[in-house]
Amino acid sequence: MARFISRRLLLSLLTLWLLATLVFIIANVLPNDVGRTILGPFAPQESVDALNERLGTNRPILVRYVDSLLGLVTLNFGKSFVSDQPVLPQLLDAMVRSAKLAGLALFITIPLAITAGVYAARRRDRPVDRGIVLLGVTMSSIPEFVTATALVVVVGVQLQLLPVLATPPPDADIPTQIRYLLMPATAMAIVYFGYIARMTRAGTIEVLQSDYTRTAMMKGLTPNQTMRRHVLRNALIPTVAVIAVQIGYLFGGIIAVERIFNYDGMGRTMLFAAQQKDIPMLTAGVILIGIVYMMATLVADMTIAWMNPRIRLDAER
Amino acid sequence: MDYSQLDKVRRSAVPLQLDAVEAFVAGRLSRREFIQRASIVGLSMASIGAVIAACGGTSTSPGASGAKTGGTIRCAVQRPVSVDPVAMEDLGGYGITAQSFEFLCAQNTSEPSGLSPGLALEWTPNADGTVWTFKLRQNAKWMHDGSAFTSADVVATMERLVKAGNSGLKGVLPAGGAVATDANTVTFTLSGGNGNFPYLVSVYNAQTLITPKDYVAGTKFNDRPTGTGAWKLKSYNQASNAVFERNPDWWGGKTPLDGTEWIFFDATGPMITAYQGGQVDAIVQFDVLTGSSLLTDPNFTLIAQPAALHRQIWMRCDTGQFAKKEVRQALAYTFDRPALVQQLFKGRAQVGNDHVIWQNYPYYDSSVPQRTQDIAKAKSLLAAAGVPNLTATLYAGQLQEIPDLCALLKSQAAPAGITLNVSTESLSTFYGAQWCPKAPADPPCSGAKELGIVDYGHRATPDVYLNAALKSKGIWNSSQYNSPAFDAAFTAFQASVGVDAQKAACKNIETILNEDVPVGLPYFYNYLAGNSNKFTGVFSSALGQMSFATTSKV
Repeated sequence: MARFISRRLLLSLLTLWLLATLVFIIANVLPNDVGRTILGPFAPQESVDALNERLGTNRPILVRYVDSLLGLVTLNFGKSFVSDQPVLPQLLDAMVRSAKLAGLALFITIPLAITAGVYAARRRDRPVDRGIVLLGVTMSSIPEFVTATALVVVVGVQLQLLPVLATPPPDADIPTQIRYLLMPATAMAIVYFGYIARMTRAGTIEVLQSDYTRTAMMKGLTPNQTMRRHVLRNALIPTVAVIAVQIGYLFGGIIAVERIFNYDGMGRTMLFAAQQKDIPMLTAGVILIGIVYMMATLVADMTIAWMNPRIRLDAER
Repeated sequence: MDYSQLDKVRRSAVPLQLDAVEAFVAGRLSRREFIQRASIVGLSMASIGAVIAACGGTSTSPGASGAKTGGTIRCAVQRPVSVDPVAMEDLGGYGITAQSFEFLCAQNTSEPSGLSPGLALEWTPNADGTVWTFKLRQNAKWMHDGSAFTSADVVATMERLVKAGNSGLKGVLPAGGAVATDANTVTFTLSGGNGNFPYLVSVYNAQTLITPKDYVAGTKFNDRPTGTGAWKLKSYNQASNAVFERNPDWWGGKTPLDGTEWIFFDATGPMITAYQGGQVDAIVQFDVLTGSSLLTDPNFTLIAQPAALHRQIWMRCDTGQFAKKEVRQALAYTFDRPALVQQLFKGRAQVGNDHVIWQNYPYYDSSVPQRTQDIAKAKSLLAAAGVPNLTATLYAGQLQEIPDLCALLKSQAAPAGITLNVSTESLSTFYGAQWCPKAPADPPCSGAKELGIVDYGHRATPDVYLNAALKSKGIWNSSQYNSPAFDAAFTAFQASVGVDAQKAACKNIETILNEDVPVGLPYFYNYLAGNSNKFTGVFSSALGQMSFATTSKV
């Protein structure tokens, strides 16, 4: 297992370097004048030139590339071009906010979707199975921003049951924070419910048709015992992989949802940085999101390896 | 006419003030134009009221008598990019910094285009408008250390602004032009006569907030939250909000509200739903298309101000398909201006006439004929120019109604045989690549595309539009317009200080621009802001500075 993990970590480092290089190329190849973007179209050219000088955006590209890699190694991503504050604390704050939103969305989605998927698989081709599949397809085909807008109009504006803005007051307790996040989390959960439920259903059906499940049943185990001891552990492997990818995606921030609920998570932070050509913020943000993706997939791989040792052994060979 | 009251004002007025009074008495200025003009040239509000009363009118002033005290107002504003008072360029920054810092001349709340005393109590020009003397308020204090606000702070602020190349003061106030005569008097000696100078040190030139004498340019407001104003910064988060509490030492007395919160948004839609969901009480600015539901909301107090906000459709005069005047005129004749005003703004805009002299400027001359849609004329002009079928790309940034404007212009131009291919892109890319590319640098903007649409904010005087966008070699002259006749007319306008002289100069400018059409200008649109009916006494400029100093809960 240690060999498996160290090999994955090494691959992760290589991926991070590639990611950092790619981000640097994109950020520096796009035509832009950072000073002009920050000071606006009406600022005198002398002020723009002075700002570019101060920010170092007019240095040779190789020097800037080496600087950006050094920043990655030391986790010193520099200061934001816009706020003139170090980018890392700002991004970590945004990441924590996105984590809260993603956490709540997953907390709602995962148990519901897995239960629905398993339930549908056990009643394959019956009306309830068709209903769950249809509901899942319908829900996952509606984009988050449509669901979010509908929720805002109905639940927030018409009924005034939940806050329209997702940012809670600074000293809010956990129930209050959940109240503020419930609507955006629901908008996200609706989309992912269908996806995870269908994956779980497909995985469960496959395992239910396997020889070892039949053997277990023939040994005299009850359907519930078979599900618990033999089916779930194997059926959920693809679901775990899907959830891991979704965690990385959700932690990276859902721009549309964060904009609609004016929530200052990673998505909104990154969009603003992109609009303002705030390259340090953009670079650090992409790298942080990349790290989260890698951590999530690593944990997922380890979980899958624990659930199915054959995968681990294959990887070690 | 009450001559005794009128003569009392006449006797105390300096020549430029007298000029405004006589223009009003003779009927050459409307009541609104008189308040606006008189406040610029430093006539006190008492004298303005006396003149209006003497001529049979009534003067009103808002008051906050009987206001309830306590509470906080939550205000939705676009996320500020910069809160450096000297270099800021967006409405978010303007609104937030103006809570704590103040201007020499404030917005006149009864006549939004006029001025009223701010940190300056009164101002008077000399006879030709080259020297302006400002008497300062003596009871204003800096909130960070309680020290007195003095003329040294004003002089230092002006030096910082001149050095930074402030677009309003450039070419008007030279370095060293502001001099402290005594602790409470500042004399401004200008580069030439300027009858509108107080506007340039007012709320309408957003960067001229007075900062302490030792303030360093480039310092962000949140790093040094000081000021003389009604509100003290309590907390600031660049991504989410700014919270202010009452400044107990404000010279204006105790504000009815305890505090204000400015909540930052990246789009107008969420501002509207946040208001409708009861999570914000006021909105600094919104556009008609996104906020149409607010226009008819009985619980919303709409602040709709006619403003000089406009879009310029620039056409290259030096090269390309629009180099011939007839081609530019032809495109301008395809604009169905009333339809644009109705479809893009639901009527909340004023029709433009292809020049930048806005109808509400006191020196606007209405005698220049309004251009209207005339497809036959457009066709004949194109034929005369030898291009009966014109195909061009119209470049624009993705901002508010501009993409819709492009689509409408395309359809309106088609019957005249003009094919417009529309290319819209993000604002930051558009400014740098299409409007005023950095290279070639001389003359400025000579790398601009031959046709495009650029946005201009509200200005209380047209100097910036004329000087930067239209004067030869102007820094934003994307049409590369180079007209000695226009340059001379602009110089004459700047040097004119009396009402009649300014009107005459403006008529000349309007005529030249309407004829040459370096830019098409189809409309000036209203600035829209507003607040919940649960609050009263909210005022807003057309530049995002919302004032809550007299706001109270109903």
